[in-house]
Amino acid sequence: MPLLKIDDKEIQVESGTTILETAIASGIEIPYYCYHPALEVVGSCRMCLVQVEGMSKLQVSCNTFIGEVHPDRKVNGKYDMVVYTQNELVVKERKNILEFLLLNHPLDCPVCDQAGECYLQDYSFKFGNAHSRFEEEKRVRPNEYLGSQIVINHNRCILCSRCVRFTQEISGTSELFVEARGYNSKIAALEDKPLDNLLAGNVADICPVGALLSTDYIHKNRIWNLEQKPSICQDCSVGCNVDVFSQQDQIFRLTARENQDVNGYFMCDIGRYGFHRFEKIERISHPMVRNGKSFNVLDWDEAIKKTADLIEKSKEKTAGIVSPFHTNESNYLLGLLMKETLGYLPPITGEEITFPTKFRISADRSPNLRGVNDICGDLVKDFTSIIKTRDIRGLYILDDGVDRKLDDSWKDILAKMDFVIVQSYAMTELAKSAHIVLPGLAPFEREGTITNDKGRIQWLRPSLATKGDSKPDWEILMLVRNALHKESEYFADLGEVIKKMGDQFPNYSGISLFKIGTQGMALT
Amino acid sequence: MSDFEPVLTEHIHQKDCHTLSFYKSVGGYTALEKVLKMNPAEVTQEVKDSNLRGRGGAGFPAGIKWGFIPKDTDKPKYLINNADESEPGTFKDRLLMNKVPHQMLEGMIIAAYAIGCQTSFIYIRGEFYKEFKMLEMAVDEAYESNLLGQNILGSNYNLDVVIHRGAGAYICGEETGLIESLEGKRGWPRIKPPFPAIEGYLQSPTIVNNVETLSCIPHIITRGASWFKSIGPEKGPGPRLFCISGRVNNPGVFEEPMGIALKDLIFERAGGIPDGKKLKAVFPGGSSSAILTAEEALDVNMDFDELVEKKTMLGSAGVIVMDETVDMVQACLNIARFYAHESCGQCTPCREGTGWLVKMLTRLVNGGGTPKDIDMIFEITDNIGGLIDFSKGSFGKTICPFGEAVAWPVRSFVEKFKDEFLAYLPKEKVVA
Amino acid sequence: MNSNGTPKQKFIFTDSGRMEKILSQYPDKRSATLPLLHLAQTQEGFITGAIIDAVAQYTEIHPAEVMDCVSFYTMFFRRPLGTNKLQVCQTLSCSLNGADDFVDHITQKYGTKPGETTSDGKFTLLKVECLGSCGTAPVIQINNDYHEGLSINELDKLLDSIP
Ligand SMILES: Cc1cc2nc3c(=O)[nH]c(=O)nc-3n(C[C@H](O)[C@H](O)[C@H](O)COP(=O)(O)O)c2cc1C
Ligand code: SF4
Ligand code: SF4
Ligand code: SF4
Ligand code: FES
Repeated sequence: MPLLKIDDKEIQVESGTTILETAIASGIEIPYYCYHPALEVVGSCRMCLVQVEGMSKLQVSCNTFIGEVHPDRKVNGKYDMVVYTQNELVVKERKNILEFLLLNHPLDCPVCDQAGECYLQDYSFKFGNAHSRFEEEKRVRPNEYLGSQIVINHNRCILCSRCVRFTQEISGTSELFVEARGYNSKIAALEDKPLDNLLAGNVADICPVGALLSTDYIHKNRIWNLEQKPSICQDCSVGCNVDVFSQQDQIFRLTARENQDVNGYFMCDIGRYGFHRFEKIERISHPMVRNGKSFNVLDWDEAIKKTADLIEKSKEKTAGIVSPFHTNESNYLLGLLMKETLGYLPPITGEEITFPTKFRISADRSPNLRGVNDICGDLVKDFTSIIKTRDIRGLYILDDGVDRKLDDSWKDILAKMDFVIVQSYAMTELAKSAHIVLPGLAPFEREGTITNDKGRIQWLRPSLATKGDSKPDWEILMLVRNALHKESEYFADLGEVIKKMGDQFPNYSGISLFKIGTQGMALT
Repeated sequence: MSDFEPVLTEHIHQKDCHTLSFYKSVGGYTALEKVLKMNPAEVTQEVKDSNLRGRGGAGFPAGIKWGFIPKDTDKPKYLINNADESEPGTFKDRLLMNKVPHQMLEGMIIAAYAIGCQTSFIYIRGEFYKEFKMLEMAVDEAYESNLLGQNILGSNYNLDVVIHRGAGAYICGEETGLIESLEGKRGWPRIKPPFPAIEGYLQSPTIVNNVETLSCIPHIITRGASWFKSIGPEKGPGPRLFCISGRVNNPGVFEEPMGIALKDLIFERAGGIPDGKKLKAVFPGGSSSAILTAEEALDVNMDFDELVEKKTMLGSAGVIVMDETVDMVQACLNIARFYAHESCGQCTPCREGTGWLVKMLTRLVNGGGTPKDIDMIFEITDNIGGLIDFSKGSFGKTICPFGEAVAWPVRSFVEKFKDEFLAYLPKEKVVA
Repeated sequence: MNSNGTPKQKFIFTDSGRMEKILSQYPDKRSATLPLLHLAQTQEGFITGAIIDAVAQYTEIHPAEVMDCVSFYTMFFRRPLGTNKLQVCQTLSCSLNGADDFVDHITQKYGTKPGETTSDGKFTLLKVECLGSCGTAPVIQINNDYHEGLSINELDKLLDSIP
């Protein structure tokens, strides 16, 4: 393996890697704009120039490959390459490039949505000149819509072409292009073929400056006000890794979080804007029990006790309905509680969409169907007919918050039941038909594990605090079980549930939240 | 030197010199016949031995370039004839295409044979419509006479030639910009590596050669490498087409041996300067070369290495002459404007820097200049094209050499004619 | 960007033989982009939105990629121009030999500034960069033809002779 000296560090590298990749991997900061690990290297921004011993010109580190050199040609008899990233020449060069990039920039950081996460702001602070020497009139252009959700601020654009390459290489849709040339170049889309593909939102993520703005987020908040938490998208069974940005009780945006085993660097717009669905939902804030046509509020102790009593009464004639929207732990605990889980509510499906670089949106638009199948044993798809044929008199349903219209066969079933317990966060038609309603958590409040359709288990972490009187779903189920069977175990936390689950299902054994971490684990 | 006989332009004044029958009557395509009996490596070796250096601007040895084509690949190989001729001050390829298209075509077929290519292209600038038609005719003739197509002249060798028109972009003369353009894209030069000889057109090995370079090939084959090498300086030998334009009495294309004195070109071949005016400055190698003052110009030979010593270059051998009536600030702005218009715009320094230069020079010309502008021009050009230190090579910092091509000439104007720039400053500011 | 703001009609190459030949000449389809655009512009006078779509279809690329190309090259026009394009080279050698006077003269003669078209739609005056004919400066290209080394008088005669 070639030996590289980069500033004072000696690094052994794989032949064929670039200086920039090596620097990034070893925590050496070389500034860059046009390079993006998922995109073809174009080497056009010139920000990543470094000096390489023995070469007369500065080299772009994004396209300079390290390889073994002949023993006679090693630098100092030892190194295959010697690189300077901090010397006078390089430092001066960065200043120059930044000066060029900022010539026509409005310097409007105080009102820019990217402020706080802008590489132009960052780098000019770290590497740039204090003031501009440009005395000419600036090139000024109005903002334009590139698609229904994406606006471009041309004055901030540094023409790194990441967005264009994204549409050509990743989404394969090619809507974006560079218009004109030279000093007049600008990013554009055809009016009658706007940037409206299901991956469009990613361009705002990969724009290194604040030039591409998602209209969904524009001027809604400032990044430093927002709390950023890692999470998993729950809008399909791919399970893209995301960061959730929120303030108090409100989510402001989702961005993709890198995970090479799942989503690479990207996510789709279904998931990106999906969180809005939960904003206007009528939440259930207290446990409730039916009283004629309406409900009475209960406190938790009463609710748990009532629930346990109902189950106790009908015993063998009760069953659980799990949900691919819920975590493995909740589904598992429902199984423990009910002895039998019959099936799950009708899943949400859509079109399976695959992009050229293999990015995929699954036809299964629920996050955890694989987990349900792994944990809940044999489930019948059409459990309504089974219910009819068997003598089931009580149901405990983990509702998924989807507001389904209850069709007649369901109505018949419900009418036949002695009791129906619905654990839900939203007042769905199903919840409205229940005898007892237990308030669980909404998708971005939940914690637990989910298993994507490729069999990767991921840690779903809460992004928002729980609302009202609601409780984590797994905890509710445990409390009911404790009330029902005095001897059953009390799980102090999710970790204990996971452990117990592993004891029962070998391919889930040896798992812990810690091991799953931010990148998930492939199940064996 | 006076006994030099033109080689490439020997017949251009004769009637019907553009036709196949004429070309054949003066020995045309005999080099090809000879080549088809040689093996490709021998052909390449002959061209290597001749020390023929590229006539498109960079002066890279042609035979060595051909040698870079990988031998062990299944990919098709492509030859592209660079007929984009857009460098200001250069108009020699146009002459060759108009007058002796078959000479160039024969050179192409030989080059293609040497590198194992079966489809080749002529990339001709879009504005050259008449030349395009001329080439179409020549190519048709060649197909009819089995000089192109299948089993050329009874050999087993097949070759097609496609004429491809550009559409108005100087940067498409740069070989990787050209390749992108040929692929149906904007002419954004590619970052190297990979070099075109390894991954060029459609990711396949590709050689790009200039019209004049290719036109030399049949003669090298017919008369031998050592004949070629005996013309002019050994390290960069051969006949060369010098273009002279600007303020001279008799502008035009003159075929001379490499290494001719610039003075002779201007004052003898091109008949000196009109109205007895004095020489002021010269671009020796197209507008991308640094200008020479009159004094420097009178004392230099048109040789690759000698011009590099003078901190400029032979480039495309396009000599532009400026006399004492020429306003150097206006001339500098003219050149800067050309480059700003032609910058492809992908590299930060080139895109932004060319725009900046034009804005600043325009302000200066309009009387709004300040003394620090003049120093800024040095800084901006250095920041686009790199610190030019000839002892260490150039410090270019852009994807393609266009950055240097702007920086050198613009900088040289200010360096060599600073007084004229100062004279544009508003009076009180000069004093300050 | 429907260049002329009118609803798009499908563009059809009248010289379909030529179009087929172009497509067959290259190892891939996309390489035919520039020649197809030239062919289409010759037919239509400028590049319309319908041409963009048609070329995209034949070359199997996105219309945006065709527009990218069209906008890069100076010889493709996105608006209708006069019947005769008067393209005056303004780069150094021509400028040193009176090209600026050409522009002034045409401007005076027809009242059109560079970029403008005469009201009768007969001429459009364009300033262009180096035409590669510096030895015969000043050069004016009218449509496809170069006219080299003209005096102002000769230019005048030439312009007047255009029907
Ligand atoms: C900005 C720029 C413009 C160029 N224009 C031309 C041109 O018009 N014609 C040409 O033959 N070479 C041109 N070149 C040089 C080509 O890149 C390439 O070196 C040449 O075509 C190789 O052919 P040769 O080795 O036969 O000279 C240009 C280079 C640059 C950087
Ligand atoms: S909009 Fe952003 S990503 Fe696109 S070219 Fe401009 S700076 Fe780069
Ligand atoms: S692909 Fe699926 S998991 Fe990924 S963002 Fe889209 S909906 Fe969410
Ligand atoms: S140097 Fe200029 S012309 Fe060359 S690639 Fe960079 S921006 Fe384009
Ligand atoms: S990151 Fe290397 S040139 Fe832009």
